[in-house]
Amino acid sequence: MILLAALAVAVVFAAGTFLLLQRDLTRVVVGVILISNSAVLFIIAAGLVRGEAPIYPLPEEGLTGAGISDPLVQAMALTALIIGFSIAALLLAIIYRVYVTHRTVDLEEISAIEMRYAEALEAEEDPEEEELPAEEQDAEPEDAAETQEGAGER
Amino acid sequence: MTLTVLLPLALALLAAPAALLAGTLRTAYAAPVGTVFAALAALATLWGYLSGGGIVDIAWTPTWGLRFAVELDGLATLYALLATGIGFAVLVYSSRYVPLHLDHEARPASDAVRFYFFVLLFMGSMVGLAMAQDLILLFVFWDLTAIASYYLIGYDGHKEGSRASALMALLITGITAVLLLIGALFLYAAHGTFSIPELAGLVEPGPLLTGCGLLIAVAGLAKSAQAPFHFWLPRAMAAPTPVSAYLHSAAMVAAGVLLIGRVYPLLQQSEVLLDILLVFGVASMAVGGVLALTRNVLKQLLAYSTIAQYGFVVAMYGLGGPYGAGGAAFYVITHALAKSALFLTAGAVTEATGEDRLSKLGGLRKPLPLLAVASGAAAATLTSLPLTLGFFADEFFFAAALERGPLFAAFAVAFAATTLAYTWRFWSGVFLGGADGKAEAHSVPALLVAPVAALGGIALLGGIFTGPFESLAEAAGEVSFQAPTPLGASYRLEVLPEYLMALGAYALGVGLILSRPVWSWAALGFSRLGALAGPERLYVLTVHGLNVLSGSLHQLEIRNLRGRVTSVLLPTAVIVGAAVLATPATGAYQVGELRAEEVPLMMVLVGVAAASLATAFTRRHVTLALVFSSAGFALAVAYAFYGAPDVTLVAVLVEVVLALLYFATMKLIPYRTLRRQAAQPLLRPNRKIFVSAVAGIFAFVVVWGALSQPPAGQTVAEEYVRLTPEVHAEDVVTAILADFRGLDTLGEITVVAVVLLGVSTLLGRGITAAKAPSSADSVAGVATRAVARLLYLPTLIVAVAILVKGYTQTGDGFSAGVVAALGLMLRRLALGRGKTGGLPSARGAATIAFAGLLLALSVAAAPLFLGDAVLTHYPSPGSEPIYLGTLELITAVLFDVGIFFLVLGFSIGVVSVFAHTIADEEEYAGPQGYRKR
Repeated sequence: MILLAALAVAVVFAAGTFLLLQRDLTRVVVGVILISNSAVLFIIAAGLVRGEAPIYPLPEEGLTGAGISDPLVQAMALTALIIGFSIAALLLAIIYRVYVTHRTVDLEEISAIEMRYAEALEAEEDPEEEELPAEEQDAEPEDAAETQEGAGER
Repeated sequence: MTLTVLLPLALALLAAPAALLAGTLRTAYAAPVGTVFAALAALATLWGYLSGGGIVDIAWTPTWGLRFAVELDGLATLYALLATGIGFAVLVYSSRYVPLHLDHEARPASDAVRFYFFVLLFMGSMVGLAMAQDLILLFVFWDLTAIASYYLIGYDGHKEGSRASALMALLITGITAVLLLIGALFLYAAHGTFSIPELAGLVEPGPLLTGCGLLIAVAGLAKSAQAPFHFWLPRAMAAPTPVSAYLHSAAMVAAGVLLIGRVYPLLQQSEVLLDILLVFGVASMAVGGVLALTRNVLKQLLAYSTIAQYGFVVAMYGLGGPYGAGGAAFYVITHALAKSALFLTAGAVTEATGEDRLSKLGGLRKPLPLLAVASGAAAATLTSLPLTLGFFADEFFFAAALERGPLFAAFAVAFAATTLAYTWRFWSGVFLGGADGKAEAHSVPALLVAPVAALGGIALLGGIFTGPFESLAEAAGEVSFQAPTPLGASYRLEVLPEYLMALGAYALGVGLILSRPVWSWAALGFSRLGALAGPERLYVLTVHGLNVLSGSLHQLEIRNLRGRVTSVLLPTAVIVGAAVLATPATGAYQVGELRAEEVPLMMVLVGVAAASLATAFTRRHVTLALVFSSAGFALAVAYAFYGAPDVTLVAVLVEVVLALLYFATMKLIPYRTLRRQAAQPLLRPNRKIFVSAVAGIFAFVVVWGALSQPPAGQTVAEEYVRLTPEVHAEDVVTAILADFRGLDTLGEITVVAVVLLGVSTLLGRGITAAKAPSSADSVAGVATRAVARLLYLPTLIVAVAILVKGYTQTGDGFSAGVVAALGLMLRRLALGRGKTGGLPSARGAATIAFAGLLLALSVAAAPLFLGDAVLTHYPSPGSEPIYLGTLELITAVLFDVGIFFLVLGFSIGVVSVFAHTIADEEEYAGPQGYRKR
């Protein structure tokens, strides 16, 4: 059973990794969900004993006699589930945001757009920007992101 | 007795907020209010000292041995008087100087408030630092002065030089301040107290004292700008002149020697430490003295002179003995008076002529006679001419050096001569000589001259009426030396060796001035060498190197998503792989027995694995959503077989909402874009399959190894199971979540609330748009609507049941929240946005969520007010519960109710934001608009 559980965790994890490597951002999110699923499964499988649900009245054997399942891992798994769920919701919202900015959910295309924009920025020689003190030039990436949105919508 | 200590401290600490408050009312009020507070604090200090001082010692954090211990002893009085008295003079000067400065820099007059706030904050922290008797309290004030000095040095923040200088000062004094903390902690570990007077009686000479003493001393030396940490001080001259006059003569650099004087009872028990102090002092005298002779800019010359002068003080502490400890205190008074006057002179001269270089200045005795005389008095004090306070300062220095031996006496004479040479250079360069070809001077405001005259006058008076200064220095020296330090400052008509040394110093100084052409090339060469290979160069290279390193790491991390993932996963894989290889394989992996009743679990796991694998081969997004949902549901079943009904319930519910959200996202992203994605061929598929296979194998080995070795012995789970009935619960898992490990849950729900904020912000329009409910746009058939109506109320009832029975049955706040949210969503889906089916708006949902979070947090925090630990639940374990019908009333359920509302608000909020965004998009493009785009 130990071997089987480990195999199941590993397969879910591998599938998640595979999706994580895709160009399609929606698949990346599914990959993240799968990986967090594999983590929860691992936590549950790591329970020391397996038996009935840990709800009173307990069976005679108790925890040590493997009458009930390990409640601690269940509590942890619950926490992990909720956090994973929240993260997935956040990621989905981010995808939509990315789509609004770039009109695509393809990682390669997004990288290409960003590269193009960075090159355009370097080629552009603005005399005013030269005079900016160092700190204000540090703020450039943010400006870049904003202009990027404009470029994406055009 | 306590008022004598607390009144000066309170006045000094309140000065900054008072000035800020006055300044916000009206900019012009800040200066007078601050000045009055400084004067009051100075008077209160004097009154407190003359009334015999006092001690306040209150337990601060008793479990860590921290005490709020302040004492107004001689040492504290000396430095508190310097901070408040010279602070007063500087504030009077600033009231005229700062408006001129701001005008010159074309800045708004309201910026002055910030100036006064930080000057007074510095003053307050300095007074606190002077009085602190506890190493940690001292460290707190120490860092407060560093923060204030950062803003003061960088006051002209629009200039890059100012910012860099402020950062340099902060880094040098801040990093060394950590050494002070480390030293304090080591002393605490060894002796169990942070109190300096107690430690003085406990420490014994040895490696521990030497190490800790050195750590603390280095903090003091860096703050006092001693070589090799000296380079920040000349850079800090970027600050406005009053700041330089205050911080770099009487306050900030003085804090360093104050620390040494404060911990001197510890330091002087180790000969090694005294020798180290002596070496630092002599090196600083040499470096500061030589470089001061080469500088052209007024404030730079004074800065190097300060380095050298504090070298005298440190060297006196190093020489030790009554003359060393008492003389050092006396020297600090003398120097603070004279040097602040000279800095203020430099500011006034620059204000009058617009020039700050010696080579462009000269002959100013005619246009500025009063300034010339006043600063002449200050310069005479600095060079220790007779009839000034400085004369005795040098006398004590010579006496301390003589006690140590002729070599040190020779050093002392040489360095005193250097002081004479550069001070003469400063004063004569500005005021003497012809005015031809030099900068023109216009008159300066009286308020810029008066403080200089006052300080110079005090220095001159002190040369005649030495009594008060002597007794104060003796009192301060006694605190450091732990024994009386009679100084005996009076002129005697006999030939003392000290007098002969002073005469020798004057002669040598005059010789240095006259022979300038002979040695100036050597001094300049030394200065060049320092710029090329000195400690400042090392600092710049280090900071630059760190910047480059952080920049390249940043680049590596953010370049693209895959790079970022790789940068995290690759090192993890290497570490895990090494760990796996290092573990002996025999016995580490067990196949485990397969009991007959576990066959269903096994089959479900196979299903999970198959569904997960299937996601990799799915092209269409809708199919993908169905496949990964099925994997999730299969997992939920697996949890059930693992005997975890709570987890199963939550997993099923979460999976439903997640699938909903995924569909919503797909609705938001045009079909064509998704279609294109689905049709795209895999890029380098073999590599991806290989990478994920490797990842899977890694996961397999690690998981298998981990599962094969359950830890032996008693587990905390047994304890939880045993305690559950005592906290009036029956479901152990819920009891763990709400009670035993409630803090985890608290952290988790906070994350959830933050995510809700994030989603609403990302899909911004949803939360603000007040949408008028449009007519029923439901696509559902009659049967669906009927079922939805039928299910709505039961769903809510189930939710409430899950919630209130969570402690005795499966389920808890999480599942109840999601169930209730699903009920609301079902209605929305089936009945449309009509007036019966509308979801609460995203803002309403956020309100529900945060109300829930607030409830959970208050339940968690409430026990604090009853004197119990956070998250204590009532009624307490074992006591009789209160029943309402068959329902037990316990606060843990209230905590769960908070979670319920949070999760309910979160689920509705997220779905609602998505739904509103979809509605917006539809209105924008029309229901069929996606395809046209």
